Amino acid sequence: MEGFLETTYDKFIFRVKEGYLYLKEDFWAKIDGNSASVGISDFLQKSRGDVAFLETIEAGSEVRQGEGIGTIETIKATFAIISPVTGRVIEINPKLEGSPYLLNEDPYGEGWIYKIELSRLEEDRKGLLSAIDYLELMKEKIVEEMKKK
Amino acid sequence: MSATGKKVVVLPCSGIGKVYGALARETAYELTERVRPEQTAMTCLPLLVIRDEQALELINNNHVITIDGCPKSCAFKSVEALGKTVSKAYEAIHFHQAHKDLKPEGVAELNETGRKLAAVAADELAKDIDELAAKEEP
Amino acid sequence: MTGLEVMTKKVGIVSCSGEDLPGGTVSRLASRKVLDELKPGEAVTICLPLFVAGGEEERSFAKNFPTITVDGCEKRCAQKSTEALSGKPGKSLLIPEILNKRGLAAPTRRRNLGPEEREAVRAVAEEIAQAVEELTKR
Repeated sequence: MEGFLETTYDKFIFRVKEGYLYLKEDFWAKIDGNSASVGISDFLQKSRGDVAFLETIEAGSEVRQGEGIGTIETIKATFAIISPVTGRVIEINPKLEGSPYLLNEDPYGEGWIYKIELSRLEEDRKGLLSAIDYLELMKEKIVEEMKKK
Repeated sequence: MSATGKKVVVLPCSGIGKVYGALARETAYELTERVRPEQTAMTCLPLLVIRDEQALELINNNHVITIDGCPKSCAFKSVEALGKTVSKAYEAIHFHQAHKDLKPEGVAELNETGRKLAAVAADELAKDIDELAAKEEP
Repeated sequence: MTGLEVMTKKVGIVSCSGEDLPGGTVSRLASRKVLDELKPGEAVTICLPLFVAGGEEERSFAKNFPTITVDGCEKRCAQKSTEALSGKPGKSLLIPEILNKRGLAAPTRRRNLGPEEREAVRAVAEEIAQAVEELTKR
């Protein structure tokens, strides 16, 4: 089982799940054959705060890498969910309706948002980062984020 | 005090740095100071954490409800770790979800909308307080 | 744990944050004032119940960095917990002592703070900030 890459800043530990692919906007895709689960990174959930509301698009919707596919509202911000892959939404995580805090509690596991049937994975890979590359990007973002506080 | 002589101890979390922590506390104050002052009591969560005798006696002899500010649920877990069953566990985020138009703000101190949400939430919890206070055994 | 660490020199403030007494409110607000205004970027708050309950980030930080405890009353929940879990704090502050030393009135309100409470928050925040400075110089 793949683990996590981690970096620590002050008391905060930021994790990146190994084996996943990442959009630079802090969304991940876990490829499983010709479909992928997608969600938000640990850095995104920590920096935006506790999720209060989640709006999703419908199952069956066509999505493209880089496009908005819903919104998340936390106490600090409302932001778009950006699709890391291209394809068709085949499932929305049913647990999130009653428990959107799963996005904070377990962003790489129970907090997955959509399952998407892939239509152009090889093309999409060019726009995605490996876990190690995303870790390096995340460290830069953490420093910027902490400077704001 | 209720007819049974039992109180309902209202325990919010001690979260510093989260709006929902401030909301949890404000809701607790609304309940214990305005909505049901005779039927409720409070103690400090840190006193339970250090196993203070008076605080332990209070929760062991009465009903306990917890109001947590985040999914880590420190208030709930701290009580259960003492072997005491929490009668009702609330998460402050649910108060906001039920009243989306009342967005709380302010980490150190709640803004006016946040205080209004706390007041509304406390009014809604009053029914649960009444039910618990009417029960014999905590 | 794999990966690189970005460590900066910081101090952890463990505030009692007691919900049931005015001293707890003063402790919490003073800690936030230090974080947000007086020593931004030089300190973090450590959530006491999470610290005791085994919060990974809280415990890891307290193990590696100096701590300041801020207690709202003589029960000294923050100091006792920190001593038990990560060793002697770098500095332990007691709010009644600080206010006494400065000739300030004890706070009487847990919320809707008045001038006495605001003055108490300011005084305690100054003491915490001074302690942060002392500990970061060591």
